[in-house]
Amino acid sequence: MSIFHSLNSSASALTAQRLRMDVISSNMANIDTTRGKLVDGEWKPYQRKSVSFQPKQGQFSSFLNVAIGNRDRGAIGNGVSVSRIQEDNETPFKQVFDPTHPDANEEGYVEMPNVDPLRETIDMMSATRSYEANITVLNSNKAMLMKALEIGK
Amino acid sequence: MDLYGGTISALEKGLNFSSDKSKAISQNVANVDTPNYQVKTVDFKNYLQEAKTAHLEAHRTDRRHLPFSPTTFGSSTHNYSSFRFNQNGNGVDMDKEQADLAANQIYYNALADRISSKFNSLNNVIKGGR
Repeated sequence: MSIFHSLNSSASALTAQRLRMDVISSNMANIDTTRGKLVDGEWKPYQRKSVSFQPKQGQFSSFLNVAIGNRDRGAIGNGVSVSRIQEDNETPFKQVFDPTHPDANEEGYVEMPNVDPLRETIDMMSATRSYEANITVLNSNKAMLMKALEIGK
Repeated sequence: MDLYGGTISALEKGLNFSSDKSKAISQNVANVDTPNYQVKTVDFKNYLQEAKTAHLEAHRTDRRHLPFSPTTFGSSTHNYSSFRFNQNGNGVDMDKEQADLAANQIYYNALADRISSKFNSLNNVIKGGR
């Protein structure tokens, strides 16, 4: 809990949303990549990656509050952090018929990455809006700190 | 002798509340995409209760020592565990957070203005109006 606590929280969110944008960029860039990973001597297409977030809880007081039973009275927290970047194993690869492709199988089908441009675009817009919201909060907190400096003038 | 008449300490409590609230709003907006995140709020009622029951004072060995009340910092944060706003279990209502942010900033500015003018009038009195 310091004077710049809220600025640090917003900054951590900016970092997290920027990383999310990076991952979305990587997905979009690799939308046609058929040689993403080499598994048992065979090329697998690029797999869509997604970012998952978790609240950053590193404060002693929050652990103490939980330990003494004040579960609903935990401390405010320290912003957000990226817990992991995971590959999407659920969505199946797209099958495209193209016998001339170097990575086509015996039937002439090529496995394409499971990246959906529509989904990525919506994710990107969501990340942009979250980023903007955090910028707004950051600016507001900055204005409050500047106002606090004016006390006594 | 009470030079400040309790005004400054009351304003200070208000500023503390506003500052804590801005921290909570920052945390909520930062976690707008976190699954299963519970919204945090700072309760004004608790702050008011603490301000009312602040008779508890530190023991002074001399009458001329400055009085101070115990600090109860960060004790009135609440989680809304039952509220879900999003499909992924997230409870952040972005419109509410933005409105709270604007209101909180104006409130903070108002308090800072008041405490500033209080200091100014004290300054005026000390200088004898010169």
